[in-house]
Amino acid sequence: MTQFGRTVRELRERLRQEDARFSLRQVAKRVGIEPAYLSKIERGDVAPPSEATTLRLAEELDADPDWFLALAGKVSSDLQEIIRRRPELFAELIRQLREAPDDAILRVVREVRDGDW
Amino acid sequence: MITLENDRLHFRFPEVHERAECSVSFRRTLRIPDDDTPYPLPPGLGNFPLRHVDDYKSRLPAEWLRRGGVLMPMHQAEAMWISFDSDFSEPAYPFAVKIATGKVCAVSGEGWTNHLNRDPQDYVALPEQPWIDGYCVEKGVIRQFIAMPLGEGYTVEEQITGVAEHGGVQIVAYPMKAERYEAILAEHRARRHIVYEAVQSPPRVQSPSMGLAPGGLMRQEIYDDPYGLDAWDQRHASRCFVTIANSAQWMAMTGEKPPTDPPTAKQYAHAGLPWFDYYDGDAEAVSGAKKFTDLSSVAEIGAQKGETPLHENESLTETRVVRLAPTGPRPVREPGPP
Repeated sequence: MTQFGRTVRELRERLRQEDARFSLRQVAKRVGIEPAYLSKIERGDVAPPSEATTLRLAEELDADPDWFLALAGKVSSDLQEIIRRRPELFAELIRQLREAPDDAILRVVREVRDGDW
Repeated sequence: MITLENDRLHFRFPEVHERAECSVSFRRTLRIPDDDTPYPLPPGLGNFPLRHVDDYKSRLPAEWLRRGGVLMPMHQAEAMWISFDSDFSEPAYPFAVKIATGKVCAVSGEGWTNHLNRDPQDYVALPEQPWIDGYCVEKGVIRQFIAMPLGEGYTVEEQITGVAEHGGVQIVAYPMKAERYEAILAEHRARRHIVYEAVQSPPRVQSPSMGLAPGGLMRQEIYDDPYGLDAWDQRHASRCFVTIANSAQWMAMTGEKPPTDPPTAKQYAHAGLPWFDYYDGDAEAVSGAKKFTDLSSVAEIGAQKGETPLHENESLTETRVVRLAPTGPRPVREPGPP
């Protein structure tokens, strides 16, 4: 079983305990895939699905989309585009911040500027 | 600190507590009929795009840049609701969030202040309040947020203050005091119980500045703060001015296409798609704001002025209503399959 598949199953089963709409069949229907395929994903019998399906699963299971993509071994297409525009700069930035604590990383995140109102 | 992530305003207070995070997004929705009949909750139809005003310095009025914050496009007469989400759900970190339009509080009807007030309450408490769709005009009844151009007399700001000065939406968030949250966390862990979080615009050229005006009536409770004023850490606050740009000018400002018009309420109901009702039997609702007693809706002002600001405003007789509860998974207001 892959970490992605295990996480999908754990989240879905936890939601199903509270709400029957989170059965394998119903989740697969809402995400737009076959129940058998979702079962294989959960068991790790197949590789994680496409970016679009991974994002729909994240939304359905109320999970962070970037976390889900990372578990699926993917980089979202918008992040790929950002890196493609300035590959050396962003590769270096990510390497530099690899071991940095969260608060140090947050210091380089762009804040919404509050003005005069 | 506030960051902009995937069209959401993300509020973080790492200096208060590592879990002190919440996010606010602006949801596209149907405009309910403005006919003095209370309707159930309409669905969410995706987020409005949000952009840093600083990214478009050469194309925006100086006044917009001075206020900072973010920019959001809305069509004239388009409706919107504001969604509150917590990043940690076991248990969610509580926040007090004040929402104003044109610097008039949507809960109390009072003018903007940079602190919280309890009597009357001028904020919503998270996570108990999952969303707010409009102005609290009566206990359990709101008037929907509707975008209208500033300066034409429709907005709440103009009706309450007599001036068309600010427009937009103003938000400030205060985290719960860390020690109060730690007590909640300890109790939660002791119980070992998982709590889930739960018009086409007329073709005339108008002011690019939009404000929010009161639309149709909707059944929605604004909950009384269950924690008390003392629970909030008012030494730490993050605030943001959300400038609403007329969708007609969005392309010229940002180079991006604005979202298309949402379906009308009639089209949506005709397709058999669900409306929603949210009921928390344990929570007490606040009374309507006294300042909103004499508020006129967009349709009423339009009638007085001999204008038709709301096209497709026919009443609905039948709606399929799905009841949402605060227990279980976080309530989702999405159309889903018919």
